[in-house]
Amino acid sequence: MTSQAKILIVDDNIDSVKLLTKRLRVEGYDTSEAYDGEQALREVSKYHPDLILLDVMMPKIDGHEVCRRLKTSEDTKLIPIIMLTVKKEVSDKIKGLGTGADDYITKPFDFRELIQRVRYWSSVKIGVEERLRQIRQLEHELIKSERLAAIGQTVSSIAHYGKNIIFGLRGGVYLVNTSFKENKIDSIKFGWEMVERNIGRISDLLLDLLEYSRENRPDYENCHPNKIADEVCELMEANAKEYDVRIIKDFDPSMPEVLIDVKGINRCLRNLISNAIDACFFDSTIEKNWTVKVRTIYEKGGTIIFEVSDNGCGMDEKVKSKLFVSFFSTKEGRGTGLGLLNTQKIVHEHGGSIAVNSKPNKGSTFTIRIPNVNQAPEKSVGIQD
Amino acid sequence: MKKVLLVDDDDDVRKLVSKLVEKAGYQAIIATNGIEGMDKIVEDEPDLIILDILMPKQSGIRLYHRLKTDNNLKDIPVIMLSAIEEKSFFNSQKVLDEFAGKTVPEPEAYMEKPEDPEELIALMKKILG
Repeated sequence: MTSQAKILIVDDNIDSVKLLTKRLRVEGYDTSEAYDGEQALREVSKYHPDLILLDVMMPKIDGHEVCRRLKTSEDTKLIPIIMLTVKKEVSDKIKGLGTGADDYITKPFDFRELIQRVRYWSSVKIGVEERLRQIRQLEHELIKSERLAAIGQTVSSIAHYGKNIIFGLRGGVYLVNTSFKENKIDSIKFGWEMVERNIGRISDLLLDLLEYSRENRPDYENCHPNKIADEVCELMEANAKEYDVRIIKDFDPSMPEVLIDVKGINRCLRNLISNAIDACFFDSTIEKNWTVKVRTIYEKGGTIIFEVSDNGCGMDEKVKSKLFVSFFSTKEGRGTGLGLLNTQKIVHEHGGSIAVNSKPNKGSTFTIRIPNVNQAPEKSVGIQD
Repeated sequence: MKKVLLVDDDDDVRKLVSKLVEKAGYQAIIATNGIEGMDKIVEDEPDLIILDILMPKQSGIRLYHRLKTDNNLKDIPVIMLSAIEEKSFFNSQKVLDEFAGKTVPEPEAYMEKPEDPEELIALMKKILG
């Protein structure tokens, strides 16, 4: 800290202000002055002193009150205050220290004594501020480097996923081209399906990335949660049948109409149900009747619960711990690794929570809890897991 | 018919490469991770292995190292086929070699996805004759 310390002198006696100003300037300090309590408070917010010499006896607001106000404000509590008074009374000193004054000097004072105290106290605030500035700078650099690392990791994950997709596209095109020459309809179909699948994968990836990067506020509208769940079940029915999975609906008849982001919740349920179907698909037991159960529950106190459970492959602790980490996918290239992350994001934007219960080879249950809001809040609140 | 084992966790890559293997005139065998890959190597004794790197359960790096340090299996040729950069793979091999205190031979070929499918067919034919 190279700049000279700034000292605010507060006294209703003009002569003593002038004298102090002159002597402190000779010592190399920058000074400013105020002649009553109100003026002092105004000057503090304008001048940002490193130290205040504060007279106790003043008209309007006295020194004790000025001191109390400065020491109870976040912005000014770090500024050291030396109280000046003619009174030699102990009660005054106690009162002064009680309001948070850092030091006390009684008039008439020896200037050499004052300057020693000024030297000490004027360096205190500068020291503290410098340290705070350094800490803030370090914090800032840390956040920045973490963000850059996250971006770097994200980019390389996308690039890795993209390379596999391009390999699939090239392969599909190659198969179509060569099979045309040989007139092999089966291979043409195989190649073309590969192209289609990989176009699907790349568009899924982009949609998931967009969803994840966007900061959304839920688009609340009146809707019946059972209706959303029913629609998603119907939508997933064909997909489930393809893998011999039965979807069971169990909706709470006491569920009222609520304010909810229909599209967002629809997306969450679609993600969870399609995960559940995949969990059945990845289950290696042959003789199981695979089911995905979709439940809705209306809890007393107004919490809306969606529960999706399957009796598929389940997860071990290691997989469970990585569930909400970006680009982690167990689906052998069938997933972007962002689905659950987006589901969690939407739930959090509703002020809700998502939990998972899973056992290897037994199945998994995902539970979404959404608080029932009577009116759309200004912003999303309370995140908990 | 010569057998080619393909170890890759990506369903689509498996479908494509096994089609390419058949197109080249060989029989395709499939594994979805390193552990399954090792089982298939012992069981089916393939003539060539096409190996991905990033896979769940056991990575291609581990499988490659196990394979090349096993006296009965180390002569099976390997084509690494991965989206990982070639340089990163060879760096990891160097670290593993230093750790194990012996040098493991390099794979017959390294192909970085997305490789031209025709190149892969040509390479298989070159190695298997």
